[in-house]
Amino acid sequence: MKKILALVLVLCMVFALSVSAFADDAYTLDVIIAQYGPNTQEWFLGKGMDGSNFVEKFEAANPGIKLNLEVISWNDLKTVADTRIASGQAPDVLNLDTFADYANEGLLMPVSEYCPEDLFEDFFPSFIDQSVIDGVCYAVPDLASARALFYNTAILEEVGVEVPTTWAELEDVSQQIVDFYDGEVYPWGVDMTTDEGQACFAYYAWGNNGGFVDEAGEWAVNSAANVEAVNFITGMVANGFTNPNPATQTRYDLQDMFAAGKLAMIIAPNQLPTYVADKGGDIAMATADIPANEGCTSSSVGVMDRIMVFKDEAEADQAKRNEAVAAFLKFFYDPENYVGWVSMEGFLPAVNSAVGALVESDPSFEAWLGVLGNAKFYSTAKDGWDAVKQGVIAAEQAVLEGADAQAELDALQATLVK
Amino acid sequence: MNNNTLLKKSEPYLWLLPSIVLMAVFVVFPILIVFKLAFSEISKAGIAGGFVGLQNFRDAIALPAFKTVMLNTLWWVLSVVILSTVIGFIVAMVLNQKFRGRKIARAIVVFPWATSLVIQASVWNYIIKYEYGNLNNVLLNLGIIKEAINWRSSYQIEFIWECGVGIFVTIPFVTFCVLSGLQSIDGTLYEAADIDGAGFWSKLFNITIPLVKPSLTVSTVLNIIYVFNSFPIVYTMTKGAPVHKTDTLITYLYMLSFHERQKGPATALSVIGFLILCLCAGIYMISVLRKEEN
Amino acid sequence: MKERSVIVKENRTSVIVLILAFALICTLLCLPAYEFTSSIYTKKSGNTFVGDEKYVAVKAEVEAVAEDYRADGIEVTLKENVIERTNSKGKTTSMVSFSLDHTFTKSGWSFINSGLTSSWVLLGIILCSALSCACGLAGIVGSMGDSYNRLDGRSAAFRSASGYLALFVMLLVPVFFMMNTFAMSRQVKLFTSETITDGADEFYALLNAFLFDGTAGDNISSALSGLTFKNTYAAWGILPCAFAMMLAAISLRRGTIGHTFMRGLLYAFVIVMCVFILYPYYVMLVTGLRSSAEANDMYFLHIFPTEWRFENLKYIMGRGIPKYLLNSLLIAGGATCIALLCGIPAAFAMARMKFKGRNAFLGFVIMSQMFSPVVLLIGIAQLMSALKLNDSLVGLMLINAAFNQAFAIWLLRGTFVSISSEMEQAAKIDGCNTVQSLVKILIPMAAPGIVTTLIFVFINAWNEYTISTILISTAANRPITVGITQFSSFNMIEWQYLFASSLLATVPVVILFMCIEKHLTSGLTAGGVKG
Repeated sequence: MKKILALVLVLCMVFALSVSAFADDAYTLDVIIAQYGPNTQEWFLGKGMDGSNFVEKFEAANPGIKLNLEVISWNDLKTVADTRIASGQAPDVLNLDTFADYANEGLLMPVSEYCPEDLFEDFFPSFIDQSVIDGVCYAVPDLASARALFYNTAILEEVGVEVPTTWAELEDVSQQIVDFYDGEVYPWGVDMTTDEGQACFAYYAWGNNGGFVDEAGEWAVNSAANVEAVNFITGMVANGFTNPNPATQTRYDLQDMFAAGKLAMIIAPNQLPTYVADKGGDIAMATADIPANEGCTSSSVGVMDRIMVFKDEAEADQAKRNEAVAAFLKFFYDPENYVGWVSMEGFLPAVNSAVGALVESDPSFEAWLGVLGNAKFYSTAKDGWDAVKQGVIAAEQAVLEGADAQAELDALQATLVK
Repeated sequence: MNNNTLLKKSEPYLWLLPSIVLMAVFVVFPILIVFKLAFSEISKAGIAGGFVGLQNFRDAIALPAFKTVMLNTLWWVLSVVILSTVIGFIVAMVLNQKFRGRKIARAIVVFPWATSLVIQASVWNYIIKYEYGNLNNVLLNLGIIKEAINWRSSYQIEFIWECGVGIFVTIPFVTFCVLSGLQSIDGTLYEAADIDGAGFWSKLFNITIPLVKPSLTVSTVLNIIYVFNSFPIVYTMTKGAPVHKTDTLITYLYMLSFHERQKGPATALSVIGFLILCLCAGIYMISVLRKEEN
Repeated sequence: MKERSVIVKENRTSVIVLILAFALICTLLCLPAYEFTSSIYTKKSGNTFVGDEKYVAVKAEVEAVAEDYRADGIEVTLKENVIERTNSKGKTTSMVSFSLDHTFTKSGWSFINSGLTSSWVLLGIILCSALSCACGLAGIVGSMGDSYNRLDGRSAAFRSASGYLALFVMLLVPVFFMMNTFAMSRQVKLFTSETITDGADEFYALLNAFLFDGTAGDNISSALSGLTFKNTYAAWGILPCAFAMMLAAISLRRGTIGHTFMRGLLYAFVIVMCVFILYPYYVMLVTGLRSSAEANDMYFLHIFPTEWRFENLKYIMGRGIPKYLLNSLLIAGGATCIALLCGIPAAFAMARMKFKGRNAFLGFVIMSQMFSPVVLLIGIAQLMSALKLNDSLVGLMLINAAFNQAFAIWLLRGTFVSISSEMEQAAKIDGCNTVQSLVKILIPMAAPGIVTTLIFVFINAWNEYTISTILISTAANRPITVGITQFSSFNMIEWQYLFASSLLATVPVVILFMCIEKHLTSGLTAGGVKG
């Protein structure tokens, strides 16, 4: 038995020795960044920043800090983050869309502990508000995008219809497009996939004065307005006004169809024109407000991602760690770096200092920032958001397959107020 | 003297040692963690809390999609294992014949196996798209069809596609297991059968199948385990949409764990899956080892 | 040996079948092969109700046009199609579309001077079937009744040629129909929807002359967009005729058709199978070498890229793919070595020694496979961080080796069991110890089984994805499966780079397989015998 134990020990030690054993004075900061665009990894780690990259430049500017930065695709991001956290290897800095579950479990550091005052002031206040739980801000926004209705002007002109502003008009217009093109062109794009279906829910629920929460801020997914909204959009699908397989056709599929002129209208983020150009699409497009139900106001949908910092109790020198994080944030949001990054990814900025330079490079940003100003955001700061998100997607998909919207949403609500 | 017998007795275990250590450390330890988690409270971020008994299991069974997912898993395993075994068997029979280009044909059969499942599923996903899928494009340009076909018009059909891709990637494994079994058959047996005037079917059932059976059983048992635990195909092609109607157990618990953040029931589900497999494999093991000892 | 008179009789039957089949093909070509229905004139009414003023006016207009056509001697029927629609407020409107339909048939022969590409195929069909017949006759002259395996060179060659020509006819017939379908539906659609405009005029003129005897004039575009067609049974009848011709020719050459027929089926199966298996790889290849715009151009019009972009390969090389491939090679190679180093002794003990807990160990081995790595992620991540093995290739080697132990042990054990232990015992008498006898005798004899395990473990490690995403945190340490995820980002999926690099990742595995293919097939034998 002793022999076995000894052998095990020896084996383990050999492995341990072979891997560790380099000591370094520099403070190492583990950072996980989400892969937004095709060039994200090049920009942070390759040669995407004028032949250099973010990490190199940062380490040159901050000699005492070493960046261990990873760029991870969205498909794996949540898995990697959760697994690392559960196994006690939480990164120092994480870039993700949701933060509430981590904050509620006390894993995140309040922003005030590491974020320099002047940088904190620089963020759009409405964005910061989205990351506050019980008066404490736990994350800072890294970027945002706003969604609006894009339409193919040539198609609408040829059919001879105006851009719809209400649901009834939308149905009329869709019918005419279907008739005119004999079904060759889909009037309306719908994405109810497991990835993005919550957006679909938001477009119509908010367009009907409904939403994820009620006025008191409690979950209210089964309100009459929401049921009507789900019935409306699944009705559009059933009438053949949309792409045929909404539960599996992703936003990429829809944008490809739009780029090829086979889809007349689509609710999409502000990067759509860039996407269409990259795919070689040769279409004329314009934007409009997302149609709302009669008597309701149209509201844009804003989506925001965040940067959050995890606690590290094991670190002896917390002040040094906070300094390193602050240095990272400062360098990241420095207009010299940040403007290039945001415009490369095609998103909208989260800090005031970047606005000037961005608008100068592309005037359309100004309009989009206006849209963003009126946008509603998901209730990501509320406990249980992940369950609500997957729940409304499942409900939509179930209604698509013939289930009753009221019953599905009631069942979801019941699990939330348990 | 005493030392010597001890050494002699422990010799087989020394031979097994490296393997046992390797598996104990890298496989059994994580398995134990899963068991521990299955009986603990797990927070949304995945931090383990105190012991909660069978609560996670009760939650798992009470999940609305539990029954659908279990049935899907059954269909998934049955269809993929049975069909890939049958087709793999036929392919192996063919590849065992002598013909020109056999070496190339064998190398081609290995292709589906040599590509990772994520990519294989992505390619098929790309192929069967209605709007710009390559399948419609090729068939239209070859003049085989007149109109583009919606290859994934309902979730049942999507599930069939997933099973199809599962079969596609599993065939090489079965084929090479059977092929080897076929080569071990003594050619004189067939000659004798020819003299007796046995036909193709009688040779198949009386000589080929009984002699290939051992290698077929090994491949089938491992296949059941691999297919049961196969994750990328369903996850890449549909993510279980709509409402878990195309999910199998493993993709469902992945969604549950990382997208819905219900880590407790998800872990319990994985243990349930393990127990089901144990039951099946246990029955098999007992029967095989009994036979061997006889 | 068959009697000469029997052979003469057989030959005569074959030749008669051959000639009859040819005659039948010629006859079938004269019958109507295609039935066309064309809306040569359509008019939509806009918002209306059946019977109201607008409706009556439009209908009268259409009927006047119909009279014009009838006056020209063209048979047309008037059809009206009412689409009713109700919007969400319950208001109903309808749209009536009138069309003048003209139905006519075309025989196979008429395609000969249609000017369509398929006319060449039809010519091929006719010539080849005639030649097949002629060759059959030529092959029989002077050798009628000769034994099949003692035919002189000339008649054997003629008779074989007859068979091959008939086979060729059989392949050409579907091609003919496919080309027609392509021209009449796909090409027509591309031209009428103005997706393609180059060559539209020539194409219209061609079809105008062929289908409408030049009467459609300026209406040709709308007449074609309403064109539907179907094959008649007479057309498909050519296929069984060609088949009968081929059978007759084969029996003329071989006497019986059984063996040749089975070989034909074998080759057909192998070819179909290979095409099927290679299809996704063809998709990867052509997509991987397209431009970004063309890779996703929805109704892309070509089976192959209009321009092969080998820059794509250069681009992915610049994105770290070689480094990722090297990492994968190291991981898979290391995992294979470790799996074999641990697996061989264990399998050896299982096969050659009797001890307590042997069956328990086998059970333990198989149980270790029953959790998917996806489920074990948290445990693995904890373990690796405790061992300081995260973000290292060594860690991935060990994990992959451990997860493939079950396969290695079961397979190697079977191999060892199937090898007789006589040689080892002889070696023992000569003074070899156990280790020496294993290394010097058993391992070389079991080489095939070991090579088999090698490729199994290698492929599994090569394709491993989920664990690597968790463990590897430095981009430079990623294996290829994780490395290619950089082409699928939030904003877009770059299919062309994704597929080009995936295809590249398949190559090393296939090369490895080609090198040891010989051993693999005989190797599994032994592994399988003792389940």
